[in-house]
Amino acid sequence: MTPTSGTRKVPTYCYQCVAGPDLLNVVVEDGVAVKVEPNFGVTEHPAGGRPCVRAYSLVQKLYNPNRVKGPMKRTNPRKGKDEDPGWQPISWDEALDTLADKLRPIREGGFVDGHGYPRLAVTFGAGGTAPAYLGGFPAFLSAWGGPLDQGIGSGQGMKCVHSEHLYGEFWHRAFTVAPDMPNTTYVLSFGNNGDVSGGVIGVWRHAEARGRGARWIQFEPHMSVTAATAARWVPIKPKTDPAVLFAILHGVLHEHDWRRVCDVDYLGRMTNAPYLVGPNGYYLREASSRKPLVWDEKRGAAVPFDTPDVETYALDGEFTVDGVEVGADEEVITHAGAVARPSFTVLREHVRPYTPEWAAHISDVPAETIREVTREYLEHARVGATIDVEGVTLPLRPVAILLGKSVNNGWGGFECCWARTVLAAMVGALEVPGGILGTTVRLNRPSSNRMESVRPGPDGFMAQPLNPTSKDKWQARPTSRSAHKTLVPLVSDGSWSGALSPAQLPWLFMNDTPPKWPEPTPPEVWLVGRSNPAISCWDSDLIISKLRQFPFVCAFAYTQDETNWFADLVLPDATDLEAYQLFRVGATKYIESFWDHQGVALRQPVADSPFDTRDLTDVGTELARRLGILERYNDALNRGVALGVPLKGPGYDVSLDPAVPHTSEEIWDRACRAATLSLSQGREEHDLAWFREHGVYLIPFSRINWYLHPEMTKKGLRYELPYQEQLKRIGQELKNRLHEQDIRFWDTQLEEYAALPPWKDFPEIWIDVARRYGKKPEDYPLWLLTSRSMQYSWGSQVSLPLLADVAQHVRGHFGLMLNNKMAALHGIADGDEIWVESPIGRQQGVAMLRAGVRPDVVVAIGQFAHWATPVAEDIHMPNLNALEPIDLSLIDSTGSGSDLIRVKVYRANGKS
Amino acid sequence: MRWGMVIDVRKCVGCQTCTIACHEENALPPGIFWRHVVDVEVGDYPDVRRAFLPMGCQHCAEPPCVPVCPTGASQQRQDGIVFVQYDMCIGCGYCAVACPYRARHMIHEQDWYFSTPTPSEEKAREPERHGVMSKCTFCKHRVDKAPAGATPGVDPEYTPVCVSSCIANAMHFGDLDDPNSNVSKLREAHQPGVLLEELNLKPSLFYITE
Repeated sequence: MTPTSGTRKVPTYCYQCVAGPDLLNVVVEDGVAVKVEPNFGVTEHPAGGRPCVRAYSLVQKLYNPNRVKGPMKRTNPRKGKDEDPGWQPISWDEALDTLADKLRPIREGGFVDGHGYPRLAVTFGAGGTAPAYLGGFPAFLSAWGGPLDQGIGSGQGMKCVHSEHLYGEFWHRAFTVAPDMPNTTYVLSFGNNGDVSGGVIGVWRHAEARGRGARWIQFEPHMSVTAATAARWVPIKPKTDPAVLFAILHGVLHEHDWRRVCDVDYLGRMTNAPYLVGPNGYYLREASSRKPLVWDEKRGAAVPFDTPDVETYALDGEFTVDGVEVGADEEVITHAGAVARPSFTVLREHVRPYTPEWAAHISDVPAETIREVTREYLEHARVGATIDVEGVTLPLRPVAILLGKSVNNGWGGFECCWARTVLAAMVGALEVPGGILGTTVRLNRPSSNRMESVRPGPDGFMAQPLNPTSKDKWQARPTSRSAHKTLVPLVSDGSWSGALSPAQLPWLFMNDTPPKWPEPTPPEVWLVGRSNPAISCWDSDLIISKLRQFPFVCAFAYTQDETNWFADLVLPDATDLEAYQLFRVGATKYIESFWDHQGVALRQPVADSPFDTRDLTDVGTELARRLGILERYNDALNRGVALGVPLKGPGYDVSLDPAVPHTSEEIWDRACRAATLSLSQGREEHDLAWFREHGVYLIPFSRINWYLHPEMTKKGLRYELPYQEQLKRIGQELKNRLHEQDIRFWDTQLEEYAALPPWKDFPEIWIDVARRYGKKPEDYPLWLLTSRSMQYSWGSQVSLPLLADVAQHVRGHFGLMLNNKMAALHGIADGDEIWVESPIGRQQGVAMLRAGVRPDVVVAIGQFAHWATPVAEDIHMPNLNALEPIDLSLIDSTGSGSDLIRVKVYRANGKS
Repeated sequence: MRWGMVIDVRKCVGCQTCTIACHEENALPPGIFWRHVVDVEVGDYPDVRRAFLPMGCQHCAEPPCVPVCPTGASQQRQDGIVFVQYDMCIGCGYCAVACPYRARHMIHEQDWYFSTPTPSEEKAREPERHGVMSKCTFCKHRVDKAPAGATPGVDPEYTPVCVSSCIANAMHFGDLDDPNSNVSKLREAHQPGVLLEELNLKPSLFYITE
C-alpha cells in the first residue's frame, strides 16, 4: 500500500493532547518510518508547525514490540489482578463476530436493563483527545439506536479542569479558558502549569510574551515548570486559592476606588451588576413582564434591564421598589416597596470580610503580596484603553487570571472560577483583547463555532441548555450510571455530557448504592479504549474489584494494560500513524489553540502496519454491517457524524451510498472533499490523495472571532456575572426534587448552589478524610499533589522507553518531590526509598529533595504504579490515584474532585 | 565563517523537545544524549530559582578535546564545527576527560530500546559509531546540505534540529562572523554570556539570561 523505496515525508498530525492538533511530518525511508519532524510548510501554525516532545515518540509507538499484535480472546474465565487472562489469538472475523453476538441481543432485547441503565457502555479517554483517533467509530455509536452509557469514568472530573468546563461554558462559552497571550501583559496564575500543559502554541506564546516583558505571577504549592519561568513564584497552601482570589476582589472593591479602577460602563451594560436583588436573594422583577429591574440614575426609577435609553445604571445603593421575586419552582414573591440593591452592591458587601490579612492567615500568602498583585492587576488592566482589530475598535484589557488542575475542580473549584471570572468582569477583561477568552464549547452547539452558540436566553443572558429541575421535567430516575441528567443541571444532555458527568459515581455506587437509588448494574457490554481507569481513576483497588464483575469487556488495546487485563476480547488499536482521520485545526480550539486560520488536517497511515491492526473506521463499518444497521451508520456518516462535516451541504453532495459498506479510504475521501468544498464555499475540492500529499487545508479565520465581546454586543446580551440568581434557583429546585424522593446523599453538594459563593474551610475537607477512615488527621500532615508531565499524557506513551529516557532530565520526574529541609527533619535523604501513605493505602517511591516545594507538600508527577503495562511496570513511581478514595465527601456539585490527598511519608526501612 | 548558537534561557521551558529531536535525528542509542536541557534549582525555600539550560557541545574556538586526541579523530572544521572522525577514533576517552562541558559520549556497544531492534532502529542504525566517542555535530549533515540561497539558521531544513524543533523559539543558529546574521544581532542586542568563560575556550554557544 505504501511505497517501499526512497525517502518520503508524510504529513500527519499528533493529537496526544487537546492543545493540538500539532502538525508534523514523518520521514519514511524505504517503507520504514524513521523519525518525526516539524511540518515547517504550515507557516499558518502559530508555533511554526512544531510539535512537542511527545510527538517524537510516535515512531517508537508504531513499532513497539510490546503492542497487542492482533485480536485476542480471554481463555481464563476468572478475572483478577493475579489471574492471567490466558490470551488466545483469534482472527478479526471471529473477534468481530463475537462482539456483534454480544451486542445483537441488546438491540433486540431492549437497550436498558431492569434498573433503567444502558446495557451498553463506552469509555473512550482521555481529556478530549479520543475524537481525533476514533475515526468513523462515533458514527457506529450514533447508529446504535438506543441509549448507551458514557459515564463510567476513567479519571475525568479529577484530572481535568472540570469547574472551568461547566461554569466557564455557562458564563462565557469557555469550556477551556485562555489568556489572549498575544496581547496580555499580566497574568495571575493559580496553579495553571501552562508551560507544560498549554501545548506548543501556549509555550510559544508565553515565551514570546516573556521576551517582550509580560509579567506572570505563579501561585502554586511547588515550583512547577511554569512557576520557574514566571516572574514570581508565590508558594500558596493547597486549596486556599479561593481565599486569595476573594481577597483580590476585596482589594478591588474596598481598598481602591472602584469607580475609578473598575470598568463601570462594562459592568452596567455587559453584566448583571446593576440588576436589583430583592430581600430573598432573587432578582427583583417587573411584575407584568417578569424582567429583572435596574435602577436608572437619570430617571431615578427602576426600569426593566433592557430599557434602551438608560444612560447610567446604578451599581451602588439601596432603592425602594415594587416588584416580584421568582424563586424556586416558580414561586412568586410580591413586594410593595421592597428594599432592593444592585447585585454589585451585594457583591461588595459579600467580599467585605475577605481582607488580605484574612486571606494571608489561611493561604500563607502575605497580605502585602496580595495587595501588590491587586495593584498590578488594576494597573495592567488599562481600563479605558482600546485596540484596533481588523478595523474594529475593541476594549484592550491585557490582564488574565488562570486556574490550574486541582484548583479548578472539586471543592473550591466553583469559588475559584467565579472569582476569577468576576475579577475579569470588574475591569472589563472578559472576552476582549488581552483578557481571558473561552476557546471552545462542548456543551453548547455548534461545537465548531463559539459565536453561533451565542443565543439569547432568559433575563438578557446567553441561553444555556440546562438539565431541567422543575417538578414536571426533572429526570427522577437516572438513565446513566453517573446520573448526569438527574444530579447536574449544568452539564446538560449533549454528546459530551455523559463523559463530563460525576464519573466516579458509577464505581462508588456499584460498590455501595445509597438508599432510594437504583443500583448501578455493571454494563452487559463495555467498550473501552484509549483509557486505563484502573490506573487513571482514583481508588484503584475499588476500580479493580468492580472490573472483575463486568460480564463482557471489549478493549481496544495498544498494549496489555491494567484495565484490559480484565477484558474478554481485545482488539489491537491502530496507532496514530496507522489510520485515517480528517480533523479540524485552527480557529479557536482547546487551551491556547486559537489561530488566524482554520481548516482540516489529515491523519494517515505513514507506512505498512507492523501488526494485524485495523483502521477503527473499518471496525465500525464491519460492526454496523454485522448488526444490520449499515444504512443507519452510513446515514450518520452522511450527516457528518465522526467526520466533522456533512457530506451533503449547500452547493455540494458527496454522500455515501447508504446501502453498501465503504472502506475507510472511501469514507475519508468523501470527508476530504466535503470539508474543502464547505470551507471554500464550493471553490475548491480536494480528495484524499491530495491530503495524503499536502496534509492540511486552511483558510483565514478572522481574529475578531477570538473574542465573544462583539457577538455579545451585537446580540444585546450580558454575562451572567457576578450574581448567580439562576444557580441559586436551580439548586433549590434540585434540592426540592431530591428531597421529595427522600434522597439525601447529595445534600452537601446542593449547598454549593449560591448566588455569591462564600469561603468555606476547603483544606479541612481533605484533612477530615482521615477521621472518616478511622485515622487521626494529625498523622497525615502533608499534601500529596500531582503535576503534569509534558513527556507523558493521554497518548499511551507510558510503555515507550524513549520517553522515560528523555523524561529523566526533568527535575523530580520519577520521584516523590519533597522539601529538602522538611525531609532532613524526618531523616530522609535524596534518593531514599520512602513510603507515602494516605488513610487508605500506601505506595513506595524514591525521595527527590528540592527547595522549590512547600514543606507541607509532596509532589508526584503524572500517574504510574502500573503492574501489567510493559515497560511502565518497571517504572518505580507511585500513583496518587491508589491513595485517594472515591468518596462522596470529595465530590462537588458538578461531580468533580480535586486531585490531592493528605499523606505522611517515611523511609521504607524506617518506622511510620 | 563560524557557526554558533544564541540561546535565550528566559524562553526555555525545559520540555526536552530538542533533546528527543536530536536523539531521533541522529539515531542515538538508549541513554546517549548529545544534548539535553539541564533542569537546575538554586536557593532555599521560599527564595528559589529554577532554570533550564540547554547543554551540548559548545563547539569551542579553542576546543580542548581536539589536541588531546592521540589519533587525530577529534577534529575542528574551518567553520568551527568540532566533530569526531569515527573511523580514526580508538575510543580512548581522552577527549571526554578534556571537555569541561561533559559533551562527549562514548557509545560502547550496540543497544536497543527493546530486546531486539525495531524496524526504525534497524533502518537508522549507525554501526560506525560503536566503540567510539560521539558528540553533537551541530547537525553538520543538515547544515552542509544547504543549497545556494538557503541559510542555515534561517531555513529550518538546514538548521541543527535542536534549534528548528524548539517550541519556545529559544534557540538560534547562524554565522557568528556575519554581523548581519540573526545570532550576531542577538549578541549585539542582549550581550549574552558563555559557560565557563574563565577557561577561555571561546565557546560558540551564547546564553541570554536577563
